[in-house]
Amino acid sequence: MQRNVLAQRQQIDREDADLLKRIQRSDQRALGSLYDRYVGVLYPFTLRVTGSNEAAEGVLHDVLLHVWEKSSSYAPQNGSVYAWLVALSRMKAVEKMRAANQKRKQESEGGAQRSASAADTKQPAAETIVALKGYAEEVRNSLKSLSKLELRLLELSYYEGQSQSDLARMLRIPLGTIKAKMRRGIQKLRLSSAEEAK
Amino acid sequence: MTTKPEERHEQLELCIPYVFGRLNPGNRKQFEAHLTSGCEKCIHELSGLYEATALLPLLLRQETPPSGLRQRILSRASSKKPEPQRVERPSAQRESPVTPATRPEFPWYRYAATAVGILMILALAYFVYELAGTTTRQQKQIADLEARLLQNDDVLAAFGAHQFEDVPLTGVEPGSGFSGRFFWDPSNRNGVLQIGGLPVAAEGKCYQLWMMKQNKYFAVMQFDVDSGQAVFVRMLSVPVGEKGEIEAFAVTLEPKEGSTQPSGAILLRGAR
Ligand SMILES: [Zn+2]
Repeated sequence: MQRNVLAQRQQIDREDADLLKRIQRSDQRALGSLYDRYVGVLYPFTLRVTGSNEAAEGVLHDVLLHVWEKSSSYAPQNGSVYAWLVALSRMKAVEKMRAANQKRKQESEGGAQRSASAADTKQPAAETIVALKGYAEEVRNSLKSLSKLELRLLELSYYEGQSQSDLARMLRIPLGTIKAKMRRGIQKLRLSSAEEAK
Repeated sequence: MTTKPEERHEQLELCIPYVFGRLNPGNRKQFEAHLTSGCEKCIHELSGLYEATALLPLLLRQETPPSGLRQRILSRASSKKPEPQRVERPSAQRESPVTPATRPEFPWYRYAATAVGILMILALAYFVYELAGTTTRQQKQIADLEARLLQNDDVLAAFGAHQFEDVPLTGVEPGSGFSGRFFWDPSNRNGVLQIGGLPVAAEGKCYQLWMMKQNKYFAVMQFDVDSGQAVFVRMLSVPVGEKGEIEAFAVTLEPKEGSTQPSGAILLRGAR
């Protein structure tokens, strides 16, 4: 990853850490700022995982309030604020999904078409977020090294919780190939993340 | 840290399925116990994986967030107090740092502003009027402030209180033009700090509100000031015990990260 991308990412992380400190001091404006910074990414994300506007909104609501009430549970040693927000959002979204969509999942066997693959979308989520714009653009460029299949597998697995054997069955691809492609995809993601560039 | 090296390596293989939520409940619990034991290898691996997977949402198509969501979150936050900051052992359980999700409570204060509360809003508006003087520009400012005041959930929340106390703050330096008021409800420790005349803090600085008990200072909160306007700062939990403990409030200019004791001169002061 290029140095300027790393610098951008470090700047973003510093600003996020400042916001979190202010949130710990009960500064509501900081919570508003954190929302403004990340709603453009987290809302499409929770929508993608839950498949429903209402659930996505509920998840985002819960995530931000979790940040407000328990910001001290964030451990910088474990990664950036942004990664924490994404992990929290995913966890809460999955919880919601598990509770609400158990039977719907069985109905839509092979129904992974909940929304189009991100690979061919033209208006990425982070486009609206000034703070992340340049960084997100760089990330997208670096992720062009992902093949369509690699990205698709990562998405189905990450957003929809499909197991590797489910993916093999669904896509009629040998399990070994799925495993190898996923591993390769994750490796590419890691190379693109600023963490790995340090 | 008591983990044997061979076990550590084996557990490392579980990091990816863990992040992707593919571990069955039994394995997941076991793995989390392993993380809690403090295996640095696995924690480092997980951290890298969380950073990496967090890139995926950056590729998603833009969606318009529901209108009013921001306000709903902030309103809800104003009725919920953050946990006091505490030094915590780093939690490796990135997937499970979360208490069960709670549904938003009814925002009672929107409807529960009592007659006293309304009187307080009027009193505050009048105070703002006094403060701002009478030039045309300032009159417009007053109107804006009043509108903001009446729409402000924070203010309503504080003034929905059953009892309240009004502590006027005055500039310590004669002619400084600094003024303020601290309205608060000792029963629920919610308050609103209103400040006028303070300049925008210099780079790397912020204002800090203190309370005084037995001639000792206790930090209440830090706040910023926008250019040339009176500011209202909601306080969720004024850190006091019994009502009688506080003798006075004071405002100083401090480094941005805040101070444990005042390092700058007292700019505003008000006794109960
Ligand atoms: Zn380990």
